[in-house]
Amino acid sequence: MQRSGNLVNGIIAVMFGILFIFCWQVGGFHVLLQLKPYQLPLPTDIAGALYSNFDVVMENTKFTMCEALVGIFLGSILGFMFAMLTAIFPKWGSGGLTLVTAFNAVPMIAMAPIMNNWFGMGMSSKIAVVTMFSMAPMAINTYRGLTVLKPFTLDLLNSYAADKKTIFLKLRLPNSVPNVLTALKINTTIGLMAAICSEFFTSYHGIGFELSTVLKLSQMSLGWAYIVAAALCGILMYGVVSLVEYYALKWHTSQQ
Amino acid sequence: MEARRTKNIAALVWFVGLILAWECGAWVLQNVMHDSMHMQKLPYFHQVAGTFLVNFNSLLASAMVTLSRAFIGFILGAVVGVAVAIVMSLAKFVGKMLFPYLIISQMIPVLALAPIVYSIVKSQDAARIMLSAFITFFPVAVNMYSGLKSVDKDKIELVYSYTATKIDTYCKLMIPAALPHLFSGLKLSAPAAITAAILVEMLGTKEGIGIKILNSLYYGANGALIFWASVIMAALLGIFGYAVIAFIEKLVVHWEKGDREEGVS
Repeated sequence: MQRSGNLVNGIIAVMFGILFIFCWQVGGFHVLLQLKPYQLPLPTDIAGALYSNFDVVMENTKFTMCEALVGIFLGSILGFMFAMLTAIFPKWGSGGLTLVTAFNAVPMIAMAPIMNNWFGMGMSSKIAVVTMFSMAPMAINTYRGLTVLKPFTLDLLNSYAADKKTIFLKLRLPNSVPNVLTALKINTTIGLMAAICSEFFTSYHGIGFELSTVLKLSQMSLGWAYIVAAALCGILMYGVVSLVEYYALKWHTSQQ
Repeated sequence: MEARRTKNIAALVWFVGLILAWECGAWVLQNVMHDSMHMQKLPYFHQVAGTFLVNFNSLLASAMVTLSRAFIGFILGAVVGVAVAIVMSLAKFVGKMLFPYLIISQMIPVLALAPIVYSIVKSQDAARIMLSAFITFFPVAVNMYSGLKSVDKDKIELVYSYTATKIDTYCKLMIPAALPHLFSGLKLSAPAAITAAILVEMLGTKEGIGIKILNSLYYGANGALIFWASVIMAALLGIFGYAVIAFIEKLVVHWEKGDREEGVS
């Protein structure tokens, strides 16, 4: 019953998507928003541009993905360690967490030029930006997972006279796994965004650089092709984390 | 209350510690490593703070330009987001149709659309407002919709048994119940809207904090201090946006206590 309902929902959604692209193709949006085709290229043009420039697009996509992945990896590890330290020394840590929350609200593109001064025009400056902005979501989420425990679990372990180390390893750490995975999902999007946005200004490679360059040359369809590539990267990374989540959290109530 | 105070003190200590580390770092860079780029890499904090204070008026003026555009976009995006979420929950068909796309929207680097938006809408103000609205829309719509979905079935049935009208059901039960979720979304999108406005500015506008950052980069070591001061202003803007929403949340959602899952995105 449930399954067939999902199938129907899926079909409805796909139909809507097809309808949307069809409207776009026959020029519905152009009439509605009073745009010319050179401002908003048609889907077939975008597909054509993607097809004929496939190698270049792939090369730049790989470059950006590298930055994003390395940055997300480093940032997530740092954030996780920060959360662990915070949970172990709550008195000083939670104050640090307040600062991390504040830092999370800092516009990421403002950091791109600074990192560029530090690490040059290459890949490492973008990795640094991605690292900085994947730290906070991981730290905040993991900290919640380590400290917001199910009622009475801590009392139970205390009644066993479990020491702090056991409580941490057997209760807090497993309890944080769902939160860590949630943070990873958030980070895939943030990381990709940070990588692309820092490439707008300080790079010679990557989706962001190519995007702003081809738009300056008025190659709108190619620009949209890069957007499509970026979107697919985002969906891919998110999908991989979701898959890991599905298999890692089979025991968890949210999956049942 | 006591715990809150220690937390605030700890945050203050961290803050002071960071500034000290900044000063030490700048000193090491300048006097130990003799880095020729030390002004750009990390100037002394007191110099940056001084520049910040001296140029406060012009920085604030630029920041206000950015903030006003981001604010208009934010309100626009939030209103449309809430409206779409309510329509989605009222008309099940629309909900089923749009929901997968809202989920996908969370996986896509929406900010990458900035140059595209800018090249479609040639007006500087319109581009800033549109991108801010666009960025705001998705988290608000997703969180509002999931808030409306998560209202207790029993409560809905109770209100239904009172033969409440749709309007009453929404005004008195559904929307208040969804408010905490809505605010999670708003807290995510407020700094994002400001980021979007700054990003569009850095692609080329006449005024705003983003273009101040970019322009001061051209002057190398001479512009370094004003550059850092502008970056700090931009950072404060983002934090300000978050803090305002968090403050309004405290005023509006006073019944919500304890830990609640933060919104997705």
